[in-house]
Amino acid sequence: MTTTNQVLVVRNLRKKYPKVEALKGIDLTMPQGEIWGLLGPNGSGKSTLLKCIVGLVNPDGGDIEIFGHSRSRHTKAQIAFVPEVENLYRWMTIRQAIDFTSTFYDDWEEERVPGLLAFMGLDPSKKVSSLSKGMRARLKLILALARKAPLLLLDEPFSGIDPASRDRIVEGIVRQFKSEEQTMIISTHAVGDTEQLFDAVVFLDEGTINLQGYAEDLRHQYGKSINDLFKEVFA
Amino acid sequence: MKRFLRLLRKDLQASLLPMGFLSGITLILMFFTRFKISTGGWPIEAAFASIVMPLVFLPLWLLWQSFQTLRTEWREDTVYTLLVLPVPGWQVMLAKLLAIWIEYTVLLGVTAIGTLLFFAPLVQEAMEILPSVVWALRNGLLLYLIGLALLASVVIFVQLAFVISKMVGRVQGLVAIWTLILSGWLVEKLGVLLEPLFRWMPKLPLHKLFRLDELRQGIVAEWNLAPEMGTWLGILAILVLTSYLFEHYVEVNG
Repeated sequence: MTTTNQVLVVRNLRKKYPKVEALKGIDLTMPQGEIWGLLGPNGSGKSTLLKCIVGLVNPDGGDIEIFGHSRSRHTKAQIAFVPEVENLYRWMTIRQAIDFTSTFYDDWEEERVPGLLAFMGLDPSKKVSSLSKGMRARLKLILALARKAPLLLLDEPFSGIDPASRDRIVEGIVRQFKSEEQTMIISTHAVGDTEQLFDAVVFLDEGTINLQGYAEDLRHQYGKSINDLFKEVFA
Repeated sequence: MKRFLRLLRKDLQASLLPMGFLSGITLILMFFTRFKISTGGWPIEAAFASIVMPLVFLPLWLLWQSFQTLRTEWREDTVYTLLVLPVPGWQVMLAKLLAIWIEYTVLLGVTAIGTLLFFAPLVQEAMEILPSVVWALRNGLLLYLIGLALLASVVIFVQLAFVISKMVGRVQGLVAIWTLILSGWLVEKLGVLLEPLFRWMPKLPLHKLFRLDELRQGIVAEWNLAPEMGTWLGILAILVLTSYLFEHYVEVNG
């Protein structure tokens, strides 16, 4: 059983695709109110781990507990997930995408939307299909941040994004994250200047955890930044 | 209910373009046929062809559409949105089924309007053979409802086949085809198996339902519902199963 401040508990999680074993027994316990970086190169299992948590793929073994409950419709309502892929309906306008998403979540905070749209520089009348990759990434983030979801999972939110959008996204996360109510996991293979976001990091490689700990402790222990440590581990 | 209606609206909006295209094609075909008939280029029988052609094509297109509406979710990765929504699977499946029903209704309506617009004299001639306008409308409505039921059964089979195919990593097309064949066979067998349980049901007098005696005296047509009941229960079970699998077991592409 999890204690009340444990948002996520993952035990011996395994997932095998036809050609690759994506997760080889992952164990994680994540307390409330922190931002965790899930770091690793492409194909290390980061996305699969997040997909398992949110319910987009089914593990072959192990347990996942979200706020003490197994995955269900109830836990889906508590997670705001930003996938790496372009999951938006392209024929929708930004406003329609926002209205569509807001219908399904009781924790939606409509009053946050105008501010988020202005901050991210998006025009709600524009069609999703007409947006650049960076703008679509910002929209996906708005759809997650406009909710007061207790658990936010961001899968590669900076992947293929121009520096301007990247900075906007980082700033958006910092401004909107409520540490007393929310917990966040951000998966990325490009640590760079985003490392200041993370309270703790998990280094994932070929489906196993290489290194895990609080960012400050790791910096102190190894005498280098998380970015340098990342480069060293995955060199 | 609000969530279900939003899903339905989404599916309808997604099919607006093909629906508009098909409606346009149907009306253009009818207009062109009417033009050719009026200039003496084509015989009057061509009018029947241009009315019947959309009606024959419609079920085939809707069958394709029921597959396509799910396939597009995976192909365009919008299934990532759909699968994380905290809604029961039946709402997603039923919304897609209802959207197909509405498309069917709209396209039938367009065909009917086109027929009245471009071939009014033919309709008048037909009405002289038929007992009355009310009779024609009533039977048209009954045929439409039977069409809805048949369409639903086909869509439900296609949905199951697609969802099962997405639960396996390989040979998804083959799995879908075999699921379609096997589920059809199983449901048919279920109808035969459960038939004794429903023998108490009276036969449905189709001649009375369609008021065939107004057309010609002495026609008797009855529908034995007993074997159908098991089949329809089986189809309902397939809808429930598909919804459950969609919510709990289906995966995004790896």
